[in-house]
Amino acid sequence: MIIGSGPAGLEAALNLKIRQKDFLLFGAADLSNKITLAPRINNYLGLPGISGGDLAARFREHLEQMAIEIVPEQVTTVYPMGEYFSLATAHRTLEATTVILCPGVFNSKDLPGEAEFLGRGVGYCATCDAPLYRDRTVAIVGYTDESVEEANFVCDVAVKVYFVPGKAFTRPLDSRVEVVDDVPVEITGSGKVEQLILNNRTLAVDGVFLLRETIAPASLVPGLETENGFIKVDAAMQTNLPGCYAAGDCTGKPHQYMRAAGQGQTAALNAAAYIDIQKHTHAE
Amino acid sequence: MTELNKSAFLETIGQDVPTVVDFWATWCMPCQVFAPVVEEIAGEMDGKANFGKVNIDEERDLAIEYGVSSIPTLVIFKGGKEVERLVGVRKKAEVVEAVDKYC
Ligand SMILES: Cc1cc2nc3c(=O)[nH]c(=O)nc-3n(C[C@H](O)[C@H](O)[C@H](O)COP(=O)(O)OP(=O)(O)OC[C@H]3O[C@@H](n4cnc5c(N)ncnc54)[C@H](O)[C@@H]3O)c2cc1C
Repeated sequence: MIIGSGPAGLEAALNLKIRQKDFLLFGAADLSNKITLAPRINNYLGLPGISGGDLAARFREHLEQMAIEIVPEQVTTVYPMGEYFSLATAHRTLEATTVILCPGVFNSKDLPGEAEFLGRGVGYCATCDAPLYRDRTVAIVGYTDESVEEANFVCDVAVKVYFVPGKAFTRPLDSRVEVVDDVPVEITGSGKVEQLILNNRTLAVDGVFLLRETIAPASLVPGLETENGFIKVDAAMQTNLPGCYAAGDCTGKPHQYMRAAGQGQTAALNAAAYIDIQKHTHAE
Repeated sequence: MTELNKSAFLETIGQDVPTVVDFWATWCMPCQVFAPVVEEIAGEMDGKANFGKVNIDEERDLAIEYGVSSIPTLVIFKGGKEVERLVGVRKKAEVVEAVDKYC
């Protein structure tokens, strides 16, 4: 299972495909905005001065050639079960022998009040918690492509849904949802969430869902060792959890394409070897 | 692990041994991932602590009364009072350690 569709995840996928391993590649349909937004790239071997948009197009072409598809779902949980990993997205659960984490760098700061009200009105999975907001008012701060669907889902239950877009959205939003183009500043309340304070407006709400593109690695994978927010890996890109590898910006600096891709390759080849050993031991 | 309705819930959490209640729902995918882990802990801590689960869809009032707004959430009760809660999917050792404090 590969999580992330930046250069690290794509290069990992390519290598697993060549090794004829079964895998799923989870990520964004548009790969990574860290690729598409780069105006001019001067340090990509063999492609001097290429724009991020062109590089992304090349990546996509390469994936197509190799018949690799991206599953456009955010993985929210990776749980080490000992011999395997149990994964969850908003829509399903899956099992995997190995996991390669390529989610990019985690840089979103907590919103003031977020930690204090976690589980008391603050949540990260609107579809999970929607029934608890029947006849209540909810704000959804959406940084992911799937945020729109989550907002649509909640508005069948809640009496009122505000949608604060963290990025431009293209998917159709239910007409009952009120879009608030503003920037979240703080979550307040006494004992539980009562208000979401924005730059220009304050919303009276019972719940706030923060749907971010990246999840702190230690929350994504309970038990994963990190250091200063980066995932700890050895030279084989193996984390402290056997069978769990990590590659790219999530493992530390420098944050660069070629480093990410190189680590993705290393992680994939070692994961492939790990799978072979597992199969072997089970066969015996 | 026993599914608790309201009366069973009230009876269980009132006991002197700690009770761990897993608030969950069928469509909550992280809950599905976490359930077997909680089940395993329940087996290992059998006799030391009670474990039960509350389906928030069937016992919505209970979830709201106890201020559960996000699932999965584990709430630890002792003598009828909440003593600690763990929101979200947690590592096994963390749950065991939290419950152990009240045994
Ligand atoms: C404007 C800009 C210009 C840059 N220019 C250069 C340059 O010229 N040269 C250079 O070498 N580097 C450059 N960089 C840095 C480079 O973009 C990064 O180092 C590189 O993209 C890191 O790759 P990655 O695979 O680790 O992660 P990312 O590219 O960050 O990709 C991670 C992907 O994983 C997805 N994801 C995250 N979490 C999950 C999850 N839980 N489930 C599913 N999907 C998930 C994300 O949506 C994202 O698509 C630039 C960066 C920026 C922002």
